[in-house]
Amino acid sequence: MPPALQNPFLLWIVLSVALAVLCYFGVRKELRLRATLYGAFILACAVAVWPPYEQDGHPGKIHLGLDLKGGIHLVLQVMTDDALNATIDDGVSTARAQATAKGISFAGARRVDASSFVVEGVEPARVKDVRDILKDFFRSPEWDVREQGDGKFLVKMTDAFVNQVRDRTVKEAIRTLERRVNQLGVAEPVIAQHGAKNDQILVQLPGVTDVEQAKRVISTTAALSLRMVEDNAPTREALLEKTQGKVPDNMDVFQGQGREPGQPEFYLVRKEAVITGRDLKSARAGVGQNNEPDVNFGLNPAGADKFKRETGRSVGRRMAIVLDNFVISAPTIQSQIGAEGVITGRFSAQEADELAKNLRAGALPATLKYLQELTVGASLGRDSIRQGVIAAGMGMAFLAIFMLLYYRLSGLNAIVALTANILILLGAMAYFGATLTLPGIAGVILTVGVGVDTNVLVFERIREELRNGKTVKAAINNGFDRVWMTIIDTHATALIAAVFLFAFGTGPVKGFAVTLVWGLVANVFASYFVSHFIFEWVLGKRQAASLSI
Amino acid sequence: MQILHNPSYDFLGKTKVLLVVSTTLILAGIAYIASHGIKYGVEFSGGTQLIARFQSRPEVDKVRAAVDKVVAGATIQTYDDPSKNQMLIRLPHTGAADGELSSAAQAVLQALRDNYSGNSVVESSTEIVGPVVGAELRSKAIKITIFGLICQLIYIAFRFGGAVWGTAATIAVFHDVLITLGLIVLCHYEITLNVIAALLTLVGYSQNDTIVIFDRVRENLKQRRKEPLAKVINDSINQTLSRTIISSGTTFLTVLALYIFGGEVLRGFAFTMVIGIIVGTYSTIFIASPIVVWWDSYRKRQRPPTARAAL
Repeated sequence: MPPALQNPFLLWIVLSVALAVLCYFGVRKELRLRATLYGAFILACAVAVWPPYEQDGHPGKIHLGLDLKGGIHLVLQVMTDDALNATIDDGVSTARAQATAKGISFAGARRVDASSFVVEGVEPARVKDVRDILKDFFRSPEWDVREQGDGKFLVKMTDAFVNQVRDRTVKEAIRTLERRVNQLGVAEPVIAQHGAKNDQILVQLPGVTDVEQAKRVISTTAALSLRMVEDNAPTREALLEKTQGKVPDNMDVFQGQGREPGQPEFYLVRKEAVITGRDLKSARAGVGQNNEPDVNFGLNPAGADKFKRETGRSVGRRMAIVLDNFVISAPTIQSQIGAEGVITGRFSAQEADELAKNLRAGALPATLKYLQELTVGASLGRDSIRQGVIAAGMGMAFLAIFMLLYYRLSGLNAIVALTANILILLGAMAYFGATLTLPGIAGVILTVGVGVDTNVLVFERIREELRNGKTVKAAINNGFDRVWMTIIDTHATALIAAVFLFAFGTGPVKGFAVTLVWGLVANVFASYFVSHFIFEWVLGKRQAASLSI
Repeated sequence: MQILHNPSYDFLGKTKVLLVVSTTLILAGIAYIASHGIKYGVEFSGGTQLIARFQSRPEVDKVRAAVDKVVAGATIQTYDDPSKNQMLIRLPHTGAADGELSSAAQAVLQALRDNYSGNSVVESSTEIVGPVVGAELRSKAIKITIFGLICQLIYIAFRFGGAVWGTAATIAVFHDVLITLGLIVLCHYEITLNVIAALLTLVGYSQNDTIVIFDRVRENLKQRRKEPLAKVINDSINQTLSRTIISSGTTFLTVLALYIFGGEVLRGFAFTMVIGIIVGTYSTIFIASPIVVWWDSYRKRQRPPTARAAL
């Protein structure tokens, strides 16, 4: 194939033009427009679907589901209460710290449940001050501060804020998982919010069969370290030029975010970490001297010791913050740092917040719990696809033979319509990136069944009209006109069922619903309009005396 | 070629006998389900399911002996064609209790490795479902089916201008689902997600079949308002009979191909469809149509002059 025609769109244009020319010479005037439009549409589907499966290294256009391809399907529950607890714990320490700073003492501040805490035992004289502090630091619409008398305050997260934190937690977990899954090098992974309450994550890794490795990568916790940067460059090759492409024994190469968004930067960093996530005591986003967002962090004594030594002799050099083997930031050391430090840089308040969170939690904002695990061996998947295709082939071959025997030449019309039907169905699936599952193949077979039903409805009606003494032309037109309503009603009810199946939305069933929906739509076009057109075209202008039906 | 020449069978005359048959079948099915319980697939019941492919043909006894040493309560059976050397191992539980969902499945694989040497597991597929997911899914499946049916009922009632048409079609669907469900349980198939999909497809198919005949009734009624409804409906069934036989027949044979050649994974799905197509076709003629006739005569007895107009 010439290179220009490898572009599917160009290929389609060329084929359509050729078709239009053919139609101009081979088809009667009143049918030309329809012939070209129908033909071009079916061609578009054929082009979209080619090649359907993997061939000579080119990926196939039909996405195969896990059950056919083999792979892993996981459903994880994000324990969003973890994040709420952390928010409340933060609130408790803020309240304590602020009160202490103003010289107020109270009996206690403690968490009540996942979304509220109380401050109690405030001396009557200082109630007003405490009220001011709480009102100042825990503002609406996120917080709700209620005075309960006797120097007791209930501070509660509003429902909206609770939902917001839960949602953010799930989204953060998804981002973290995406970063980790990228290390696995899986083609087309799916990582999506899932479940009725949207607090689950669906992970699908087609083609991956080593579940243990995949799960290890997904559930590594707090793989955070701060390491000295030796060198950095925009590409791995440039970075390793000096060492003839080899990574020195005491070094690692990690990718990170470059200066421009979306541009990678590669870092050569020491294998030995200055400190790890365990040495980090706290981290929070703040605002620096020039009103620029920054991140303040605190270290435990052991960590502070190591950090002080290293930063003391490395002022002016860069230190990489490595999370899950990815450099999230590489600030320059400005001065010796001990137990407390500040990371400044050109980041937005939101980025600072995120960096603080990454430092704090190591990686995941909440723990993940496995709810469902499904693995399919690759050859077991191949078996299924073979059997499904054989069954589909057998069913269709049988149908074709039957239609030809029973309806003779009109049966050929039905076969053409069926072929168009399947092409459109597969073309739509390829174009919209829908996934073909094993139940999906069953859906294709069912589509064929419904498609034949449409043809049979029309053909039987035409026979009836012929028996009643109508001419061939009138019989065909009446036949198609009369069954139109029936077809609309039957397809609409089936479509309602398919939409509900789709909403049911779990892997294989969804795949089935998708094929069913497209199948129904394709069916109306192919078995009704295309089939009608073929009758008109073949029978010609003359009044045919008989019809092979 | 033609199967039938102007058929004129008296379908509605036989409804009383067939009603007894249908009711008996449904009641027998319900009684059987009540006494034996429904076997749910792992996605609904929760638990661990493992399909292992062995190097050479495995012996059930030896696999059982190997597995029983480490985990209790395993169901073990040959999976799919015996020449494929596959075994299905089901455990009612997951490893969730000690935090790791897949630990039960791993224990089984390890047990096979340790205690069944000489025939190693070449490849395996596992499905592990925590108890929460299973229960959630069950209630969702029921909800979706009921909502789907209600929407279809409304659509049909709207299209045919009377609630009785939609209701009749829906009762026929319930009839189909109950009988099919009874047979699924009787033949020891599990209720899996695929079977649910097949049941919902059967709902669509049964409705489809009913609508084709109702549609013909609607068309005939336009010209034959004076004739008794029972006769119009009976004629409509006869007029569409060859279509019914051919369409149901061809679809039946395609799903039969699926049942025979589609492999183990699709067997429950295909079985449901095979039964469903037979029952769905039957119920259109012998359940949905008589209901409309009965309703019509009931209304006539209540308020003779306006009965037909209100239908």
